[in-house]
Amino acid sequence: MILLVDMDAFFASVEQAHHPHLVGKPVIVCGDPSRRGVVTAASYEARPFGVRAGMPLGEARKLCPQAEYVEGNPEKYVALSLRLLDLYLTFSPDVEPFSVDEAFVGLDRRLSLADASEIAASIQREVDARFRLGASIGVGPNKLVAKMASGVNKPRGLTALSEEDFRRVFWSRDVQEMWGVGPRLAERMRSLGIETVGGLAHAPETELRAAFGVVGAQLREAAWGRDDTPLVPYHRGVDPKSMGHEVTLERDSGSAGFLDGTLLRLSDQVARRLRTEGFCGRTVTLKLRNSRFETRLRQRALANHTEDHLRIYEVAKSLLAEMWTGDRVRLIGVSVSSLERSASGAQAELFEDHRRDHALTRALDGLRDKLGEGSVVPAGSLICRHDLGHVPFGAVSPRRDPESGTRADGSGAPPARPTPATRRSAARHNVRGAFGNAPRVPRSDPS
Amino acid sequence: MFESLNDPVDVLTSFVDGRMEPLRFRWNGRVVRIARITGRWSRREGQNVIQCFAVEGASEESFELCYDARRPSWTLSRAWRTAGRESSS
Repeated sequence: MILLVDMDAFFASVEQAHHPHLVGKPVIVCGDPSRRGVVTAASYEARPFGVRAGMPLGEARKLCPQAEYVEGNPEKYVALSLRLLDLYLTFSPDVEPFSVDEAFVGLDRRLSLADASEIAASIQREVDARFRLGASIGVGPNKLVAKMASGVNKPRGLTALSEEDFRRVFWSRDVQEMWGVGPRLAERMRSLGIETVGGLAHAPETELRAAFGVVGAQLREAAWGRDDTPLVPYHRGVDPKSMGHEVTLERDSGSAGFLDGTLLRLSDQVARRLRTEGFCGRTVTLKLRNSRFETRLRQRALANHTEDHLRIYEVAKSLLAEMWTGDRVRLIGVSVSSLERSASGAQAELFEDHRRDHALTRALDGLRDKLGEGSVVPAGSLICRHDLGHVPFGAVSPRRDPESGTRADGSGAPPARPTPATRRSAARHNVRGAFGNAPRVPRSDPS
Repeated sequence: MFESLNDPVDVLTSFVDGRMEPLRFRWNGRVVRIARITGRWSRREGQNVIQCFAVEGASEESFELCYDARRPSWTLSRAWRTAGRESSS
């Protein structure tokens, strides 16, 4: 049996637990509320007003002006997430973090649904008692059923489904409720006459393969409640597929210099993260969103793998030159994919006679490990730093200096060289995703 | 509303059974008594670990305090105050 523990409105609930006067009030967690950005999480009290994660803050303020707008604190949520994982480990050694607010817990296969549900109820009670937080838990024979069951009854719900129960509950529901079916895929399915989960389950496999490739056949199996995806406990770890950072600018910008400085800063963060986690990457992707909310992506592969911020920056800059038509930019992001463990990339750089650069980078990383992310940043990334919006984790997040009262580059830093396979690493990746950087998880709305 | 501060503050602190707990602090010329610790977590700055506490003061008062063992010093990082009203102890 597998459980999926999903913390209810996690970020907002943590703020309510830490600040009890917020209990029962609409709470909206975001970046710096005095700046522009998007809603990171909305409490259940804010949701009836139509506020949702990902919504621009300005829109949220129109819908729910009376809400408390709280600047999110990623370090706090990661710390809580790790303590929650520790709690789950007291129930089972097989715990797989799925996002900062979700985790799969593997139980003995021989347990009945009823027995597994009792364990789930115990977890709910412990989460409430220790953290004053609510969790919704799905119980099922596999990850798919557990995941979808967790969303049946929220908040603080507990839903246990067998494969047969799954079909009874979900077959009549819209096909978009299937895990893995997003709006576009659902639209394409509807165009083929597949309206419900049951319709997907009974669609001819050949037709699904023809339309959607191997994914079509997999989704058909999933619609029957079947899933053989293994649970991977965090101590075994899974390598990430990409790493990236993006930022919503304080004001839409048409300044080439500002965009260039921002690109350098983002490239530096991505490269730093790659090195910290022991990876190098080969494909650089630039993301641009203009003031009309039109989002464009373009990517380019390098000749070999890199973990060097200047190489990433150079590619990102050339992509910007190709993509940017001079219109005002709202959001800009850089990510690197086609990742490998860094040994091969480092070797390649050594052969290219980049030894001095490599040694310098290591020395600078050593400084950052010791003193924090804000201790050393590329000079070119300081262009217009006061106008740069909120980006968590380090050098790009300006904060008030207690001595002078002015804003200076802060240093909310990642841990010194965490092992990639640790739960800390997993949780950090995921919370980065939730705060507007490249996500590793399918959704960014903790609920 | 919440206010981000990062103000250095003097904090009367207890150390009992290996646990550190802030008891009261001086801020803006007043002493705020801590009624309850509602949360604790830590964050890193390089090798340095900063201990953070969410605390409740008197009614409708809420704060976040951080202890930097390297300096050592306390910082009031965030305060929640009702609009149009100064917090009091």
